[in-house]
Amino acid sequence: MKYVDAGYVICLSVLFVYSVSLWWRRRRLARAVATSDVSSERGRDREREG
Amino acid sequence: MRTIVLRSVGVAAIVATAATVWLGLWVTPPDQVQGTLVRLLYLHPPIAWVALYLAFGLSALASLLYLWRRTRSLFWDRLAAASVEVGVVFNALTLVSGSLWGRPTWGVWWTWTARLTSTALLLVLFVGYLALRRVPADPEVRAKRCAVAALVAFVDVPIVHFSVDWWQTLHQKASVLNATLSPTIHGSMAWTLLLGFVALTLVFVWMVTVRYDVEVMRDRIGNQELEVSLAERRAEGSTGAVNTPESSSDGIASGEAGSAEPPVGGPGHSTPVRLAAPEPTGGGR
Repeated sequence: MKYVDAGYVICLSVLFVYSVSLWWRRRRLARAVATSDVSSERGRDREREG
Repeated sequence: MRTIVLRSVGVAAIVATAATVWLGLWVTPPDQVQGTLVRLLYLHPPIAWVALYLAFGLSALASLLYLWRRTRSLFWDRLAAASVEVGVVFNALTLVSGSLWGRPTWGVWWTWTARLTSTALLLVLFVGYLALRRVPADPEVRAKRCAVAALVAFVDVPIVHFSVDWWQTLHQKASVLNATLSPTIHGSMAWTLLLGFVALTLVFVWMVTVRYDVEVMRDRIGNQELEVSLAERRAEGSTGAVNTPESSSDGIASGEAGSAEPPVGGPGHSTPVRLAAPEPTGGGR
C-alpha cells in the first residue's frame, strides 16, 4: 500500500504545485502587462511632446 | 465568457480528480493478481494518455499548422509551447508513477526495456524543445525551429505506443487502446479508469489554456519593453541631432539615426533593424 500512497501523493502534489505556479505566473504577468501599458502610454506621450 | 468557461473547467477537473481518487483508493476492489497495486493504474494510464496523445499530439498538430503557410500564425506556436510544457510534466509523472508500480510488481524501479526507454527518450526530446524555445531569436525564426523540433520529437510517440507489440518488454500490452478496441477490464474498475481519463483531460485543458495566456502576456510585455526602449532611443537621437549635429560619430545618437542606414544590428538582428528603421521627422505623428 505504501507504493500506492506514494504514487497518489507524488502525482497529485506535482499537479497541484504546477497548477498553482501556472496561476501565479499568469497573475504576475497580468499585473506586469497592466503596468507596462501605463508606462508605454507615458513613453508615447513623451515622444509626442519631444 | 472565457473566464467563466475556464473556471468551470477548473472546478470540473478538481471534482473529477477527487472522485477518481475516492473511487480508486476506497471504493474499487483489489485486483485478484495485483492486489491493491491496481489502484495505481487509475492514475498511471490517464497520465500517460495526457502526456503522449493529448499534449504531444496537440503540439505536433499545432506545429504542423504553424509550418503550413495557409494557417501560419503565432497562435499555433504558442499553443504548441503551452502544450509541450504541460506534456513534459505529465511525461515525468508517467515515468514516476510507472516506476512506483514496477518496483513491487517487477522487482525493479527501472529497466531498459523498449516502452520505458522510449518514454524516457520522449521526455528528453521535449525538454530539448523547451530549451530550444529559450534560445534568443526572432519570434518567427524561433517558432519555425520549434515547430520542426516538435514534429521530430513526436516521431517517438508511435514508437512508444507500439513498442510493446514490436519488442519483448516487461510492460504489458495495451488494455484499453488495443488492436480490437475492446477493453479487457470491467465493472467499477473500468468506470474508475474512465473517470480518471476524463479528470486528467480536464486538468490538461485547464493547464494548457492558462499556460497559453502566460505565453501571450510574456510576448506582449516583451514587445512593449522593446517599444519603450525604441521610443527612448528615438527621443535621444532627435535630441542629439538638434544639439550637436556634427560632434557625435556613433550611429544611434547622431544624424545617422535619421539616415537610410539602420543604426544597429545587421542581417542577424532582424527585429532591432526592422523596428529601428528611420522615422519621419516633424509633426507627422
